[in-house]
Amino acid sequence: MQVTPPRTLTELFTGFLAIGARSFGGVLPWAYRTMVEERRWLTQADFAETIGLCQFLPGPNIGNASIVLGKRWFGVPGALVAFLGLMALPFVWVMALGILYLEWSANPIVRAVVTGVGATGAGLFIGTALKLGKALVRKPAALLLAVGCFAAVGVMRWPLLIVMPLAIALGIFFARRDWL
Amino acid sequence: MILADLALTFGMLSLIAFGGMPSVMPEMQRLVVEVKGWTTPAQFIQLFAIAQAAPGPNVLIVSLIGWRAAGLPGALVALLAVCAPAAVLSWWIADLWERFKDSPWRRAIQRAISPLVVGLTLSGGYVLCTPAAPDWRLWVIAAGAATAVFARRVNPLWLLAAGGAAGGLLLSG
Repeated sequence: MQVTPPRTLTELFTGFLAIGARSFGGVLPWAYRTMVEERRWLTQADFAETIGLCQFLPGPNIGNASIVLGKRWFGVPGALVAFLGLMALPFVWVMALGILYLEWSANPIVRAVVTGVGATGAGLFIGTALKLGKALVRKPAALLLAVGCFAAVGVMRWPLLIVMPLAIALGIFFARRDWL
Repeated sequence: MILADLALTFGMLSLIAFGGMPSVMPEMQRLVVEVKGWTTPAQFIQLFAIAQAAPGPNVLIVSLIGWRAAGLPGALVALLAVCAPAAVLSWWIADLWERFKDSPWRRAIQRAISPLVVGLTLSGGYVLCTPAAPDWRLWVIAAGAATAVFARRVNPLWLLAAGGAAGGLLLSG
């Protein structure tokens, strides 16, 4: 497949604007569609590699991807422009919805519907975790780590700043022994 | 100074959000609701719902929290704080990561992170649908969505719409 990276900052900005504007229900599919299929900025393999890295890095995945790609093509200005393009419209959308909600939140039905949407979002997290967790079932050490994190953070509500370093250290210890 | 407080809180979350925002949702809820008192538990799940329903990265929930705490400046500060530290880190690590492609340490770190992401994402879901006392109605809705995601590929927008309808029926009484 012939790929051509964006030639100007404007092109970069409008591309990321298009991703942000349409990304109902998840940004990743729209990022793929815009950058790989429509604008052909990068190959499928390249896209997968970049997202893989950003899923590992801390912070919002797709925000990081905009920084990494913008930097690759145009340096600092590229990183800033890609990030702003990505966030601009969703920011306006979410604030508008927030203001609209505040206006209506006294209505018990509106509140019930929004809470239902929130519970669904929570369910999406749980389903995703279970999907990812399927791969861990045959590895007791990995299962132990996952369940331990859930117990400490989800149930006991211990601060993540304490749990995270401990869990990472333990995870690296397990991984070096080939238990993960 | 509430803006500084927002910047510090979300900046810290940014740096420990391995695997993306779902990993720090339980910690965000704990800090925002229990430690800082910027929203009630019920408001938190509602702001989360708005961020889910709007297009764009789910990280935008922090703008809504910042907005509740300190208006428009709060919204902007919270969003920048949650993105900037991670962005700076990505900036440096992207090259470094490439260079250590074959290092056994890189593989060890990668493998260590994935069970953590599973445990933390699960925690996020659990904490969100258990805002105060356990409520079976929220759990039923969450369980339905979790089953749908687990069993097949469904557009999350349909699920959110169905969950909203279920919420309207079950929760408004």
